[in-house]
Amino acid sequence: MEFKLSLFNNALIQKQAVSEIIKCNDVTSRFGLALTENQAKALVQTRTTALNENGRIEFGSGIINKIIYEFCDSPYISERNYEKTLHELIEIFYYYKNETLDLISDEDLIKYMKKAFDGVCKGSLELLSGRELYNLAHNLRCGYPIDYTDNPNNDDKEDEDEEY
Amino acid sequence: MKSIERISKIDKQKLSGEHYFESVLEQACICKILSDSDVEKIQLEYLSLLAKQSEKFNNGDSCSIQIEKAQDLLNSIMYTIGLYLKTYENPDDAALALKQNTIDDMFIKGKKIIKRMVTTTKLLHLGIVNHIVNTQNVFYRSTIVDGINGFFKLYYPEFGAHKIHITADYPTYNGVQDLTGIEFIRKYLENIYFENLFCSFFSEDSIHHLLCGFDENYSELIINIYEPVLTSALGCVLVGKDINLELSDSDVSELTRIFENKTKPEIKEILGQALEAVKQKLSFKDSLFKYLSDSLPKIASDVKNAEDTKTINKIFIIPAYPENNTKIEFSYGKKMDNKLYRRIIEKIMQCQETQDKVQIIKENIHSLVDLEDILLDAELSDLEINEVLKILTPVEFTALLKKYPYRNDFEMDGLKESEKQLCSCLNNLLFSLPEKQRMMIEKAVSMSK
Repeated sequence: MEFKLSLFNNALIQKQAVSEIIKCNDVTSRFGLALTENQAKALVQTRTTALNENGRIEFGSGIINKIIYEFCDSPYISERNYEKTLHELIEIFYYYKNETLDLISDEDLIKYMKKAFDGVCKGSLELLSGRELYNLAHNLRCGYPIDYTDNPNNDDKEDEDEEY
Repeated sequence: MKSIERISKIDKQKLSGEHYFESVLEQACICKILSDSDVEKIQLEYLSLLAKQSEKFNNGDSCSIQIEKAQDLLNSIMYTIGLYLKTYENPDDAALALKQNTIDDMFIKGKKIIKRMVTTTKLLHLGIVNHIVNTQNVFYRSTIVDGINGFFKLYYPEFGAHKIHITADYPTYNGVQDLTGIEFIRKYLENIYFENLFCSFFSEDSIHHLLCGFDENYSELIINIYEPVLTSALGCVLVGKDINLELSDSDVSELTRIFENKTKPEIKEILGQALEAVKQKLSFKDSLFKYLSDSLPKIASDVKNAEDTKTINKIFIIPAYPENNTKIEFSYGKKMDNKLYRRIIEKIMQCQETQDKVQIIKENIHSLVDLEDILLDAELSDLEINEVLKILTPVEFTALLKKYPYRNDFEMDGLKESEKQLCSCLNNLLFSLPEKQRMMIEKAVSMSK
């Protein structure tokens, strides 16, 4: 008798997740963003891969809907990069759930990602993952405040970014 | 007349005590008590319970959880349900309960059972702590008092009912097998209770001297205290003595004769009769007698092995009285004046020849404490240290060896380079001595304070 958690990856759950993603189009269409069924399936596949790669398991509807609702009004997302950005955001999310040792809730992490993505990162996923979330994870692990930085010059981070 | 037992389709022997739920489910499928659709329903139910538990674990903050934690939660759920299923005497009934009840219901009932078990186990522990055997063995107290207290502090049945948390270093003679979680701790404490109860028939001093007979440093060994007490009590009965745990050499010879060329069942028979006599003389309860009887097969095996290897004295231990042993105390003398000491060190270091260095030491050093300092400070080579050591009397050599005994590489790690050098020179010289002389020195070292 098998009692392993792989039982969860069944077709029924995946189908349910795809239909929930499609439902999000009702809200995102206001911002000119929509996903086809195939794109939704690809996002669910990315979630499954990200969960496996990060050694995690998910119950319920998952976080794809939450990410879509939070990011759909971002000025840096258009129909052209919508699907690609979502794939990357899903991967980044699960990676940093582990890196933050589950010390931050899903909702707070998604909100932090959105704020940083629209703010200091100016739509750059590399900066979001490699700098902002890296610092967040470091601060949470070390027990520092979320916005703590050991480099005082980082206050001028926005100015430096503008120079590039 | 024996009571009539219901025939069970599921073979009890095939069930696991540790993974009871899983094994009942598996056997119920094999015996066709549960159909495939029943199993599917059960699986869906426990997975939805897992989802609930994981949400509870995350305080509703996170949809996902690490696989290791989820597996842990699942194990806890299955253990809790398994405890409920164990309330059914017949495993067929347990399998039917899986069919008739929901997983959520059984989980709630299992949690109630755990709660009750935790309370009763805490009471049992309290009783044991109040009547603990006063022994110098550090593992006994640290496991039974501190370790078990640690378990109760860490045990959280909601998410980790199956966990033990502690290592329970002190071993009970009748092992605790195929159990985990609170069941393991309860069984472990029950064993300790019976072992303590038996030991309470003897004085602390008799037990101490008996254990000294096993090893003078028993306080630092992970050994079971009850085992030598029981074997010694059985030995006393077999040689017709009072049960005072004081076997002598002649008693052990007599025991060797009793067990000579006996088979294991014969040895068990002899020990069983001796146990009956112990019960009559000490008049203890049947529950304790049952625990002692359960220990007999293991003792019989040990006696058989000892008989084969002619080492019965390792099983039936003769008490030792280390307080009566002669102790040697060394006086290392007084340190000389610092200025004079520095001058001697300089003189030694300026010398080229080993013989000259030895001569200076011989003429100027008159206490062991100064000799030790010189050997450490004068930057002598191994050869020069050996030459100095060779002029020492056996008593002086023993005194130095007491301070710098043989150490393995790991133990050497904390020492200075000069100390390591002296230690290895002393021990190399010791091992180069004739065996008789070496044994005498080793004995003197063990007798010295």
